[in-house]
Amino acid sequence: MGEQPKDIAEEVKHLQRCMNDLVSLLALPAKWAGGEPVQIVDVLLDALLRMLQLDLVYAQLKVKGDHKPVERARLAQGRSLAETPQDIGEIIRESLGADPVEWPWLSRKLLRDRDIVIVPVRLGLLGEISFIVAGSMRPDFPLQTERLILSVAANHATIAVQEASLRTDQRQAAIAMDRLVAQRTAELALANTELSNEIAERKHTEEHLVRSEQMHRVILEAANDAVISMDDRGMIVLVNDAVERMFGYAPIELIGTPMTILMPASMRGLHEAGYKRYLTTGMRRLNWQGVEVTAVGKDGREFPVEVSFGEMTTDGHKTFTGFIRDISEKKAAEETLRNMQTRLSRAGRAATVGEFAAAIAHELNQPLAAVVANGHACQRWLLAEPPGLTKAREAAERIVRDGKEAGEILRRVRALFKKTALEKSRLDLNEVIHEVLRLLAGAILSEQISVTTDLADNLGTVEGDRVQLQQLLFNLLQNGIEAMEPVVDRPKELFIRSRLQGPEAALVEIRDRGVGMTRPDEVFDAFFTTKESGMGMGLAICRSIVDAHQGRIWATPAEGSGTILSFTLPVQHGNES
Amino acid sequence: MSSDSPIVFVVDDDLRVREALSSLISSMGLRVGVFGSAKEYLEADKPDAPACLVLDLQLPDTNGLELQRKLADVDSPPIIFISGHGDVPSSVSAMKAGAIEFLSKPFGDDELSQAIKAAITRDRMARQHRSELTELQRRYTLLSPREREVLPYVVAGFANKVTAAELGTSEITIGVHRGQIMRKMGAQSLAELIRMADRLGIAKKSA
Repeated sequence: MGEQPKDIAEEVKHLQRCMNDLVSLLALPAKWAGGEPVQIVDVLLDALLRMLQLDLVYAQLKVKGDHKPVERARLAQGRSLAETPQDIGEIIRESLGADPVEWPWLSRKLLRDRDIVIVPVRLGLLGEISFIVAGSMRPDFPLQTERLILSVAANHATIAVQEASLRTDQRQAAIAMDRLVAQRTAELALANTELSNEIAERKHTEEHLVRSEQMHRVILEAANDAVISMDDRGMIVLVNDAVERMFGYAPIELIGTPMTILMPASMRGLHEAGYKRYLTTGMRRLNWQGVEVTAVGKDGREFPVEVSFGEMTTDGHKTFTGFIRDISEKKAAEETLRNMQTRLSRAGRAATVGEFAAAIAHELNQPLAAVVANGHACQRWLLAEPPGLTKAREAAERIVRDGKEAGEILRRVRALFKKTALEKSRLDLNEVIHEVLRLLAGAILSEQISVTTDLADNLGTVEGDRVQLQQLLFNLLQNGIEAMEPVVDRPKELFIRSRLQGPEAALVEIRDRGVGMTRPDEVFDAFFTTKESGMGMGLAICRSIVDAHQGRIWATPAEGSGTILSFTLPVQHGNES
Repeated sequence: MSSDSPIVFVVDDDLRVREALSSLISSMGLRVGVFGSAKEYLEADKPDAPACLVLDLQLPDTNGLELQRKLADVDSPPIIFISGHGDVPSSVSAMKAGAIEFLSKPFGDDELSQAIKAAITRDRMARQHRSELTELQRRYTLLSPREREVLPYVVAGFANKVTAAELGTSEITIGVHRGQIMRKMGAQSLAELIRMADRLGIAKKSA
C-alpha cells in the first residue's frame, strides 16, 4: 500500500468495505454451486464490477471442447466502449497484444480516448482457464485492498470453474452413459418384443396343436372306422372308440397287447412273419390301401374287414396305424346283389334261350315242312297212272336230306334244354358263325341287311359248347341287327370277321353300322340297355359265355358309325377232333 | 296242259320248301311257278289262267301280309298263306284280308290240295266275273251318247212317255233308243238289262 490514506477514519471505512467485499466474495462459491463455468464467470464479473467500482471488466474463458474462447464483459453504468464482449476483447488485445500470457500485470492505456488502468488477472496457474481484465479510470486503481479482492476472487473462481468443468465432464459422461443406457434399453426392449412375439407365436402354435389334436381325437373317436396304432414290437398303443364297438374290447384291454389278438389264429403267424420281414427289409406284401382280411372280435366272432395302413417314424421308432372298416354288411349286400344278378341273368338267359329256341323251332319247321310235302309228293307220284318214278325218287332223296337236317336241328334244341352246363367239344368257329347266320337269315333278309363275312381259313378249332357259342354269336349278331333297326340314311351292313390272333387265340369281330354305343365299357353289364324293350341281358350273357370259355369280349366304336363287338377264344392245338 | 289249265304260284325263301311244294303240286296235276321272293313274283310274266298263290308269311324282302295288301288292288289270284310260326294275329289279319287258307308248316297234302282247289275255283269265278264285266263294258261303249242318257230312265222303269217328257223329245224316239239299247247290250229282257246296268254301276234315274 504505497498511498497514504487521507485520514484514519477514511482508512477504517475503506478497510471495512474491503472486509465486506471479501465476505461477499466468500459467499460466491455457494452461489456458484452447480453452475456452468460461463455462469460462474458472469457472477464473478458482476461482483467485481460492483465491489471495485470498475469501469470495465472482461473475461476470456476457455470452454472444454469449444475451439474459440468464450468472451464476457461488463461495463460500468453509463460507460460505452463497444457493443459486444468480442469487440471489447479485440480492443484489449489491440492495446495489450494478442497473447494474454505476455500482458503486463498493470498498464495505463487509452481505450477509445479514455485513460484506463488495466489489470489482467489469470485464472489458474498459467491462465489456462481464463483471463479476467479489470479496468478503471480511477488513477489510484488498484488499491492494495482491491488487488487482494481481485486475487481472492480469481482463486475462488478458478476453483469454481474447475469444479464446474469437472461437473460438465461428469455430466457429459453421465449423458453419454445415459445415452448408452437408453440405447441398450431400446435394444433390450426390441429383443424383448421379439421374444414376446416369439413366445406368443409359440403359444399360438401350441394352441393350434392342442386344437388340432383335439380335433383329431374327436374325429378319431367319432369315426366309424376303427383306428389302431401299434409300435414296432407289434403292440397296440392307441385305439379309438370304434374299436370297442367293432371288436368288443375296451381300450384298456388292448393297449399294450399284441395286435395279433384281433386276428384269427391262422393269420397270426403270417402277420408276424410279414411284419418282421417288413421291419427288416421294408418289403410289403400287402396293399396298404384297402386290403380285405378277416378280423376276430372278443367273442370269437370272425368278420371281414377292410384295412388301410399308415406308417410314421418318430425318434427312430415306427408306428403303424391301421384304419379298419367292418365290411360285413357291404359283403352281405354284395352277396345279395350277386345272387340277384345270378338269378336275373338266369332268367334273362332263359328269356334269350326262349328267343333262340323259337328261332331254332322255325328253322326246324322248314325242313320238316319240306319233308312232309316231299313225302306226299312221293306218294302221289307213285300212285299216279303211270307212276312218276323219277319224280318219286327225287322226292324221297329230298326227304332223306331234309330229314337229316331236321334231326341235326333237333339235336341242337335238345342240347339247348339239357341242364348240363357245358358240353365242350372241338369246334370250328367259322362253322358256328355260318350256323347262326342261317338261324338269323330271316331277320337279316327282312331287315334288308347285307352281311359280309371275312372268315380266316386257318382259324383252327376252339374248345367250347356249341349251343352256348351259337347263342353267343346269335346274341351278338342280333344286337347288331337291332342296333341298325332305326337306321334309314345308310345301308344296313353287318361285317363278320374271324382271324387268328397270335398262336393262341381266335378273334371274331362283328361290326354293325348301327347307332353306335355311347358307353362301350358298360354294354356287357347286366341290365345295361339302350333299347326300349329288353332286359339288357343279351350282351351280359355273351360275356358270361365268353368268360366260361376263358375268352375275352369287348366293344369298340366302329369307324364312321356303329360298333364292333369282338371276342377271343383260346385256340386248341393238335389234330384230334 | 292248255293255257286255261290252272297254275299255282309258290313264294317261299326256303329252297327246300320250294322244291318240295313244286313236286307236290305237280303231282296234283297242276302247273307250278316258284319264286324265292315277293319281288321275283311281282316281276314275273304270269300266264292268263286260273291261279292261286301259296305265300310264305315270312318273306325275305317283304312281309307276306304286306304283299297281300299290295296285290289286293290288282286282279291277283287268291292267297293261301303258309307259315313256320303258329302266329295267330298274323293268320287273323291274313284271313280278314281275304286269304283262302292259313296253313302252318308242316301241313298235309290234303289240306293244301283242298285249299288250292278252293282258291282256283274262286279265281275261276272271279276271272269269269271279270270277263263278263269286261264284255258288258265293251257293249256299253257301243251305245250312243243319247242312248246312254236314256238308259238310266229305262232301267228305273220309267214309261217311254215320261222319259220323252223328261228329255224333251217324242215318245216314239225314246222307243227307238230303247230298242237299240236292248240290242247293243244283248239283253233279252228288261230284267237282264237292269242286272247289267247294276253291274256296270249305272245309277237308276230316281222318280
